[in-house]
Amino acid sequence: MALRELPSRAASALLRDARPLIHANRPSLRRHASSEPLQEVAQSTSFAVPPPSADLVQDFDPVARSKTRRLRKKPLPPSRYQYRPPKYYRGPLHPHQPPPESDPASRLFQPGPFSLPRLEQTYESTIAADLLTLIYHHYPPGFRAPVQTQRLREWTGASPYYQNRPLRPPRGKGDHLKLLTPPRTFRNVPEITKVVVHSMVPQAQENSGHLHVAGMVVQAITNVRVEAHKSKHNVVGWDLREGKYVAVTADVEREDTFHFLSKLVDVVLPKIKEWKGVSGNSGDNSGNIAFGLTPDQVALFPEIEVNYDAYPPKMIPGCHVTIQTSATNDRDALLLLQSIGLPFYGRLNK
Amino acid sequence: MNAGQQTTRRLASRAGPSICRSCRDSLSRSTYATAAAAVQTEAPAIQHIPPVASPSQASSYAINAGVVLSRPPQITRDLHPFESAFFLYQRRLNERLALPFTRYFYFKKRTPEDLEWKRKIKQRLTPARDIGRYKGYGDEAWNDELLVGARENEIDYQVERLIEDASTTGKEGEAESEAAEAGEAGISIGGAGGVAGKGKKVEHEPMEKPMPRVTEADIKGDVKSLNRLLPRTLYLLVKNKDGKWMFPQEELLPRETLHMAAERVLITSAGINMNTWVVGNAPIGHYTHDRSLKVRESSQNPNQLGSKTFFMKARIMGGQADITNTGLADFKWLAKEEVHKAVEQNYWPSIRNMLAER
Repeated sequence: MALRELPSRAASALLRDARPLIHANRPSLRRHASSEPLQEVAQSTSFAVPPPSADLVQDFDPVARSKTRRLRKKPLPPSRYQYRPPKYYRGPLHPHQPPPESDPASRLFQPGPFSLPRLEQTYESTIAADLLTLIYHHYPPGFRAPVQTQRLREWTGASPYYQNRPLRPPRGKGDHLKLLTPPRTFRNVPEITKVVVHSMVPQAQENSGHLHVAGMVVQAITNVRVEAHKSKHNVVGWDLREGKYVAVTADVEREDTFHFLSKLVDVVLPKIKEWKGVSGNSGDNSGNIAFGLTPDQVALFPEIEVNYDAYPPKMIPGCHVTIQTSATNDRDALLLLQSIGLPFYGRLNK
Repeated sequence: MNAGQQTTRRLASRAGPSICRSCRDSLSRSTYATAAAAVQTEAPAIQHIPPVASPSQASSYAINAGVVLSRPPQITRDLHPFESAFFLYQRRLNERLALPFTRYFYFKKRTPEDLEWKRKIKQRLTPARDIGRYKGYGDEAWNDELLVGARENEIDYQVERLIEDASTTGKEGEAESEAAEAGEAGISIGGAGGVAGKGKKVEHEPMEKPMPRVTEADIKGDVKSLNRLLPRTLYLLVKNKDGKWMFPQEELLPRETLHMAAERVLITSAGINMNTWVVGNAPIGHYTHDRSLKVRESSQNPNQLGSKTFFMKARIMGGQADITNTGLADFKWLAKEEVHKAVEQNYWPSIRNMLAER
């Protein structure tokens, strides 16, 4: 014990005399955030540096430089410039971790965005502000929203099995809760989040060519790689057999959404003859609206038209287009889609 | 009916006609959810709404309806240099990472289109037509950065390339390069080369160029035209009898809603030669004008403290403002920062948040 205490004792003995001195000129730990760090920061930025001289700019040829380096057989060290991320993820403790998905070196990296779509700009500058004005609901100052209580039902009874059981769904036919609509502000104006293009071709069970063509068509019109789906059950009425590939879907997100929708609204739909519009009944009560396109209508997409002959005759499929929005009810979603130019018919107010 | 609901109703009814209709609606709405909530908690619906004082003779404001009539942006905005550089970088990156272009799916072998494609791809090295000369595959795929002074990231350059690609057949370049090679080699058959070049000239349809983004009105500085500042939102500003620039406004008539008043104001102050849409029923902002004591005493109605103007949003779809026979002196179509310069200093803070940045 004595040995262990020795260092601290020695230190205190040594410092006993020094203590007052330290107290006397204690360095000021306070730092004025506005004064000193500003001087510590580098005075000049790289932007202030003048551009390289004109003759240097003219002579600079990166390709020629690399060629001379190759001729001299002094290539850049491959270990540093030819990085490949690990093929398999071996857990968080493995020393070789894959780079983040946003890194171009990553295997999962997807380039983009490539442009700022016109429809997106219109939404930001015009549609969002108008929507907010249209769906604004006024509450007088001092208004307090009623407290939202538990929307699911409790299990009432003496049974011990009711303890810790998940709450009961609401009474009635559709046993799910409707989405709650938050007070709308400029931060949560409904917007288009995703479009799902789905094409089902039961003929693919006999001839897989139908599925390939459907995949090519959906891929061409959406600019997104498609995913094929198997039939889950045997459905005699629809000629479906379990486990056979029958459908393709494409999840269109971000920039592609705007390109797809503007193509649809400005090019394809105006060309359809005697088209009434999207049914006003469409919608799943949660702000997602869907409609269908027949094979003839799908063939009107400019990507199909440009090489229509490349697709086998009578194999171009129809498709379903589901537009998902961040609106929580169909009324707001309908308003949003009407404002981007999608026509609706029938009874609209739900 | 339960106690909570009755309280709300009573409060609303006591407020009487002085409370606005939408307030009254939101107070007296009886949904099942609120009913259930009211049953469970004892006195939940006690609203802390300040009592609305009945408009006394001593203090009152005149209520005006104003209209913020705007023309939305007609074309896309100009990209920031960083944005355009980023987009070009991503496109070239895509050329490196995407699968190669499936030529035979789009062009049948040995057709004129196929030959044209081969000629063009030899010149620009990449299927994309607007990213400049760049090859995404091979030993020099790393060379995707622009040199100083390159124009590949500018939208004008990209549009030019697209038009050129659509209107040429790819043979023109070949003819020129052959002629140039002949010239370099010093072969003294310049005449013959020229003839050969002319012989290869291919007829093609002239492509229509996109309309310029800067219009005649922009160049002239014509602030009355609706064709100016196409990428921006324009707002209608009128000059009233006092010489002040402001949004068109008029006093609200009895038993008139703001929406109806806005439509009336548009017709009385900017004529009937406009196709407009008044957006929604709720105002998007308000402006309070307080009269000084001196002005009040000298006026006919000294009890009136001033005026409150509620602005309704409206969009112009077609037509043009016409101020003849309206009693107004002038009108202008202005973007946000121009509005800031034109209006009075005390008017600006109450309208600035109604106006869109773009």
